[in-house]
Amino acid sequence: MNPQVLLFLVLAAITAVSAVRVVTTELITHAALFLALAFVAVAGIFLQLQADFLAAAQVLIYAGAITTMIIFAIMLSDIHEIKPSDQEDPFPVRFRRRWASRQWGFFPVLLALLFAGGMFWLYRGTGFALSTEAVSGSTTVQLGLQLFNEYALPFELASILLLVAMIGAIILTAKEVR
Amino acid sequence: MAIPILYPLTLGAFLFGVGLYGALTKTNAIRILMSVELMLNAVNINLVTFSRYITPNNYRGQILTVFVMTVAAAEAAVGLAIILVLGRNRNVVDIDKITLLKG
Repeated sequence: MNPQVLLFLVLAAITAVSAVRVVTTELITHAALFLALAFVAVAGIFLQLQADFLAAAQVLIYAGAITTMIIFAIMLSDIHEIKPSDQEDPFPVRFRRRWASRQWGFFPVLLALLFAGGMFWLYRGTGFALSTEAVSGSTTVQLGLQLFNEYALPFELASILLLVAMIGAIILTAKEVR
Repeated sequence: MAIPILYPLTLGAFLFGVGLYGALTKTNAIRILMSVELMLNAVNINLVTFSRYITPNNYRGQILTVFVMTVAAAEAAVGLAIILVLGRNRNVVDIDKITLLKG
């Protein structure tokens, strides 16, 4: 088999397994760490798709910032309800006992596979206008040029959104000072 | 390209399915937020795939991905802040127990 395809399949398997573990694992801290693993594997897939800037951004923003934030929220909230028992599936007990193993959660895998299979069937019937052009070098330069010329307004709007989100988060969590 | 376009697209669909299951069935607010992040990542994979395979030298899909990442970061910050405040004020993180607006 082509080594590139093999590498993609390995990365895809890591992503899929850790995504399932995010949903099914019992301790929420483990779920956060599996989430980071899934993000890093997705960054590898971005590299394979020759999106080098996005791979770096994925590692920085998702695996770095968002995962850290989630772990901080878990530790800071000090909520005693984060226990195995809070992960009850809302399915009838008999059904759950038969179909869902405790740790690996057969049921979410089955549902996601059904969904992915349906989408695969749809995609296969679609004639994509595939291009055979090769990507010319690094994407970072091109991405930066387009971002600051053609997409300058959305870019500034995004920065305002980030500022508003930051101020909102600070105001929400700050203790009232009188 | 050595990898058929169907592979990354199917991976994206699978990730989205897992995230959707988590977002709909879990009651822990932090875990729901994680599932939403998974779904956003699935969308990003699809965008980058289409950008690479259909318009390889026109980076619109990748630029949209940059904006998705921005919005995801903002959403995570505000969402986690709300969860923290809920945990501080009412000591709950279980969305089934947050029924303040229920008549």
